[in-house]
Amino acid sequence: MKVMRLIWLVAVMMGLAGAAAHAAPGPWEQPASELADQIAAILGPGQAHLTIRNLSSISSDEIPAIRRLLTQDLKAHGVAMASAESANTIRVTLSESNIGKLWVAEIGEGNVTQVAMVQADIASLSHPGQIEQDPILLRKVAYLSHFSFSRGLPFVSDDPVLATIDPFLPIALYPDKLEFFVFSEGLGLQEDSSIAIRQDRSLPRDPRGLLILSADKNSFSAFLPGTACAGSRADQSAPAKHAADAWKCDCHASDDPWPIAVDASGLPQLKAFYNSARDYFTGVVSPSVGVDLPPFYAAALLPRSAGNGALLIGGIDGRVQLAENGAAKIVTGTRDWGSDFAVLHSGCGAGVQVIASSSGEAANDSLRAYELPALEAVPASAPLAMDGTVTALWTAPDGKSVLAVVRNAANEYEVDRVTALCN
Amino acid sequence: MLRRFAISFLLVSLCICAWARTRPHYGGSLHVEVAGDPWAGPEGLARRLVLDGLTALDANGIVSSALAVDWQSDSNDHRWQFRLRQGVHFHDGSPLNAAAVVMALNVVCTANCPWTAVRAAGSAVIFTSDSPMPNLPALLAGDAYLIALTRTADGQTPANPIGTGPFQFTSSNNGRLTLTANESCWQGRPFVDEILITGNRSIRDQWLDLSVGRADIAEVPPQELRQAQQQHLSVVVSPPVELLALEVSDTGALSNAVLRAAIALAVDRGALSNVIFQKQGEITASLLPQALAGYAFLFPADRDLNKANELRGGLTPPPLTLAADGDGAMQLAAQRIALNLREAGFNVQVANAHNAPHPGLALRKLPLEGADPAAALETLLRGAGENVPVAGRNPNALFRAEHDVLDLHTIVPLLDLPRAWAIGSRVRDVRLRADGTPDLAGASLEGTQ
Repeated sequence: MKVMRLIWLVAVMMGLAGAAAHAAPGPWEQPASELADQIAAILGPGQAHLTIRNLSSISSDEIPAIRRLLTQDLKAHGVAMASAESANTIRVTLSESNIGKLWVAEIGEGNVTQVAMVQADIASLSHPGQIEQDPILLRKVAYLSHFSFSRGLPFVSDDPVLATIDPFLPIALYPDKLEFFVFSEGLGLQEDSSIAIRQDRSLPRDPRGLLILSADKNSFSAFLPGTACAGSRADQSAPAKHAADAWKCDCHASDDPWPIAVDASGLPQLKAFYNSARDYFTGVVSPSVGVDLPPFYAAALLPRSAGNGALLIGGIDGRVQLAENGAAKIVTGTRDWGSDFAVLHSGCGAGVQVIASSSGEAANDSLRAYELPALEAVPASAPLAMDGTVTALWTAPDGKSVLAVVRNAANEYEVDRVTALCN
Repeated sequence: MLRRFAISFLLVSLCICAWARTRPHYGGSLHVEVAGDPWAGPEGLARRLVLDGLTALDANGIVSSALAVDWQSDSNDHRWQFRLRQGVHFHDGSPLNAAAVVMALNVVCTANCPWTAVRAAGSAVIFTSDSPMPNLPALLAGDAYLIALTRTADGQTPANPIGTGPFQFTSSNNGRLTLTANESCWQGRPFVDEILITGNRSIRDQWLDLSVGRADIAEVPPQELRQAQQQHLSVVVSPPVELLALEVSDTGALSNAVLRAAIALAVDRGALSNVIFQKQGEITASLLPQALAGYAFLFPADRDLNKANELRGGLTPPPLTLAADGDGAMQLAAQRIALNLREAGFNVQVANAHNAPHPGLALRKLPLEGADPAAALETLLRGAGENVPVAGRNPNALFRAEHDVLDLHTIVPLLDLPRAWAIGSRVRDVRLRADGTPDLAGASLEGTQ
């Protein structure tokens, strides 16, 4: 008796689950309904023979369900299904273009054929990232992206974002302006106001920039090719209407060296001279590291248990070198590195990793963590796929995350924050 | 000894290749060779390097800002306002302003323009038209509406093209154009210092120059793609960006629509694709490719000689001229089509387009640009000389617009063709534009700096 009751209970639950699944609108209900409306408007009540062919990426497993939906919807309009001998035919083609799925019905009445079609798009499914047993797992969170907002609309930047400060002061540096963001409850970061940066000379084609916030968060420095800006909080008695109004910013032509490493208080530990016309650091750094450095694109100061640390540079010839104790030596295992890297103080594994962009051969770049126990870069994480080309990468002020500017296929820029989880 | 040398060479090569890929380098001269005139549109490679449009199509065919930063329409697309980018200068240093843009557009478009009037209003350019212009931003990205300076500061007509693009026109000697980097380009200075484009070069000579390092970029016609792969050339291929189509006059001997329909049915697209274009074209009877419209299969592309003969009936049209411009493949394709039409009872002679100014039939390549089907269809029809605004994103409306045009049988779509380029080993980051031409402003050279 108990067994019978259990079977009955399971059957009822399965029935309820099935009914719930049936009640939930599937992805094809809407286009099937719209196409049936159009077909019925052409054909009117009567009988017709329905055939379906699939030229799209829809799985063949889904065709019976689509047929069922179309048959039901047509029946609701008074169009009954008939055999192949019927004079009326409905030939539905499940097609596809670059824009999306297109369902096309060719409705034949005797010798006359008319056409109806509907767009049948469904949102693409996201694929979960893979987890590997490396020391750390990289993950990314959109910082400035379509999830941020610009005057009520999703943030999309066609202009290159060169640098940002996060999380203490949400500013983005563009080639021609400093954009200030404000945090809005429920909406996240919103573009608020900007300060224009006047350029006396043209920028290179892939301009780079740098933003550094002081330890007291009351001033910042911005560097662009040939231009330097100093920002400080304005003395104001009344609250500023716009975020940018709270700051005074002075920009001027400058060939001063850029700070490539700062300490915890925001003071520069190392500065490097920048070739504005060719978009790289010349190799001259201050203070000297005791060895002549070649021109380089990227640099990062790796902490050492003793001394001032080691300077890792990515040369314009593609070689990665480590300058330490008055000598510069080539680091192996960096063949897959692109021109950008930054230091991450994850606390996992060796405690400090270098996050490097991939070499840009693929359409989308990836980021990967490496450890440098000696003069060899050893992967410490699986590659983290980015949604486009990484155009800039730097360590966030807290040192526990890196910020990456990504240019997607539509040439739009977004900023992602990349953090690490210990495995 | 030889073995030891070979091993050493291999190790050295491996060492050279072992370094990471860097940011693009600045500097160097890029050598490009093309079969046609590098300046003549719409395939002129040099025009887009020197001149900008108010808008541009990005690599995905999406309309993006160029000399105009934004635009808006009102009055149901009868009026458009484009706001100009500030701080842009022509290569001679004169500022880009609305008056200069209006003058340039009035020079390049004197008849059958998408607009009725264009005028300057402060830093904006305003277009008005009696009929709606739903696709104007996309149309303005076209080669026909690039902005060139028409009057210099001293009121003279410039001797050479002056634009705002990433390269400036320096000289033209013995069929070779020299373009130098625009240091103050609003998009940023291009990576290479200069581009040398040699025109009217045969494909065989281009490939030879590429193989010996005299050229960095050479053309690969669709019908030569397989041969290029066999020769291990590094080739970039676009999606279909050109529609090979037969234009049929609706005047004179072909004013009868039934005869035009018979011509459309008589053409053997399969033979054109397999024999002439070496299976590199997609057979189509639709103006827009399947990938863009999704309904191309609705237009049957099969040859039906019986139906063609039936439609022609007892009519014997007077001799027709089929004009074809372009390379040898176009001439061969024209010969093949003439053969098809003779089988259907038409008397057709093939002539070069230069020698036949008003032919009854013309074999042409029409542009297939952009990701917006409506804008792409209007651009294509304008390329064919049809001034037909195509409105709406509704697939039913788009299909009807295309169906109505094809029903006239004045354009017979044949093949969707890609464009391809062979790239030398020292060239980096060559990406193709929406029209299939290489974006050389973003290209750089290895071993420079």
